[in-house]
Amino acid sequence: MSNEIIASLAKFIAEKILKQPSKVISADEAIISSGLIDSFSLMDLALFVEDTFNVRIEDTELNAETFDNLTQLAALIASRK
Amino acid sequence: MALDRILILAAASLLCGIFLRERGRAWFLLIASVLVIFWLQPALPIRGFDFWTPIATLVLVVLTWYFTADDETRKQRKNTIVLLIVASVVLLLNLTRFVPQLQIFTASRPPQLETTLIIFLISGLTLLALSRLTRFSASFLTLGLILTIGLFLTLKVPALTYWTSYALRSLTGQSLDGTRNTDFVWLGFSYVAFRLIHTIRDRQMGRLPSVDLGEYLTYVIFFPAFTAGPIDRIERFIKDLRAPFAGLTLGTFYPASQRLLLGLFKKFVIADALALIALNDTNALQVKSTGWMWVIVYAYAFQIYFDFSGYTDIALGIARLLGIKLPENFASPYLKPNLTQFWNNWHMTLTQWFRAYFFNPITRWLRSWQKPLSMPMMILLTQVATMLLIGFWHGVTWNFTLWGLWHGLGLFIHNRWSDMTKAKAATWAGTPAKQAVLNISGILLTFHFVAFGWIFFALSSPVASWQVLLKLFER
Repeated sequence: MSNEIIASLAKFIAEKILKQPSKVISADEAIISSGLIDSFSLMDLALFVEDTFNVRIEDTELNAETFDNLTQLAALIASRK
Repeated sequence: MALDRILILAAASLLCGIFLRERGRAWFLLIASVLVIFWLQPALPIRGFDFWTPIATLVLVVLTWYFTADDETRKQRKNTIVLLIVASVVLLLNLTRFVPQLQIFTASRPPQLETTLIIFLISGLTLLALSRLTRFSASFLTLGLILTIGLFLTLKVPALTYWTSYALRSLTGQSLDGTRNTDFVWLGFSYVAFRLIHTIRDRQMGRLPSVDLGEYLTYVIFFPAFTAGPIDRIERFIKDLRAPFAGLTLGTFYPASQRLLLGLFKKFVIADALALIALNDTNALQVKSTGWMWVIVYAYAFQIYFDFSGYTDIALGIARLLGIKLPENFASPYLKPNLTQFWNNWHMTLTQWFRAYFFNPITRWLRSWQKPLSMPMMILLTQVATMLLIGFWHGVTWNFTLWGLWHGLGLFIHNRWSDMTKAKAATWAGTPAKQAVLNISGILLTFHFVAFGWIFFALSSPVASWQVLLKLFER
C-alpha cells in the first residue's frame, strides 16, 4: 500500500511539478529542504494528495519538518486514511 | 542587545542549567523572562510607558492564553498561582520606585504604583467577566486576531505611531511639541504578535495543544528569543519544556557555548566592524566613487547577515544551556543558487510562519475558485502579497514596500524562468563541471539580487536608494 502511494506521489512530482517525466524520485530523497519542490508546488502536491487519497493536509503542515521525503509523506497519508 | 547584558543572561542561564531541575527550571524560565522584558525595554520619552509597555505585553499574553486555552486547562489551579507570581514580580519591580539602588531592571524610575494596580484591576475584571460568560464564543478569537493586527499596524505605520505618541503624551499631560513617531517603542512586540497569531489561528483550526498559563507565557516571552526570534512553534517548544531536564551536561554545554561564542563573534566582531563601512543614510550621500559604493553595499549585505544570524546563534546557544532547542533561522542563505532557496534559508522561522498562515491559505483559496486565475497570475499575486507583508512587518514605509516588491517580483520571475528552463537546464548540466557552472552563476546572481534589495532596506528614502543604484552602474 505504502509503495503504491510513494509511486503515485513520485509520478505526480516528476510529471506535473518538475516536468521531467523520466526523473526518478527515490523514496528517501529530500524534496522540500533540498529545494526540489518550491512553496507554490508544495500546495499542488497537497491538493493532489487531498484529491487522490482523500486526506487533509493542513497549511501549517506543508514544511520540511512534517515531511521531507516520500516515505514520510506516505506515512502521513496512511496514518490519516 | 548590548554585550554586557548578553553575558549576564548567558551566565544566569548557565547557573540555571547547572543547578536547577524540572520545576525549578520552569520557574526560572518564566520569572527570568518576565524580568527580561522589563530590563530590555528601552527608556521612552512618554512618562511611565517604559514600565507599562512590558505590562501591556503580559496582559495581552495572559488574555490571549485565556481565549485560546481549552476549558479544562483554563480551570487548573496552577494558572492562578502563575498569575499571582507574575503579578507579584511586576509589583516588586514597581516598588523599586522607592529604592533607587534596586532600579536595575527598568530603564527609568518606575511610575506610581496606583496605575499598575488599576491596570491589574481592569485586567482581572476583564478575565472575571470573560470567565462568567457561559458560552465561550469563537468570535473572541477573531477579535483577538483583529486587535493584535491593529496594534501591530499602530506600531508599524509611522503616521499611526505618531498619533499614538501624541495621544499618550496628552494622556500623561506632557508637552506635545516634541512628539515623534519614534517615541513609542514596544520592545519585542513584532515577535510576540507572531506567536500570538500562530496560537490563535491554530486554536481556530482546533490544532493548538493544551498548555497552561505558565507554559504559554514562557513560550511567548521566552527571553533568549524575545527581541530577535527565532519564532518557534508552540507544540515544538513545549515538547522541550516538558521533557525531563536532568541538568546541563558537558555534552550539551560544549555545543551550547560554541554556538554562543560563534554568535558573539559574528555579532560583535564581524558585524560591528562591517557596520563602520556598511551602507547607511549618511554614507550613501557622502560616497562619491562607484568602487566605494560597491564596497559599502557589499559590507551592508554581510553586516546584516552576520548581525542577524549572530543574534540567532546567541539565542540558540543560551536556550541550549536551558535545555531548549530553538529552531534554526539561517542556513547559509548567501550560498543558495536561486532566490526561492535564499528565502527558504534566510530568517527561516519568519518565512515558515508566513507560508503557514498567509501564503498557503491564500494559495488554497485562489485554487478553489470556480474559474481559477491562470497559474502565473496566481503565483504573481501570492508571491508579491507575501513579500509585501514581510516588508510591512519591518515597517510600513515606502522603502520596505519597495524591498518587498523587489523580492516578490524576483520570486515570481525566478519561478517562471525555472518553469521554462528546468527541463533544458537538467539536460544541459550533464557533467559535474557544467553543474558547478550553473550553481556558481546562480549563487552570484542571487547574492547580487539580494544585495541590491538591501539598498532599499538599509536606507530610508526611495530617492536615496535609487541614487545608490545609479551610482553602482555609473560609467
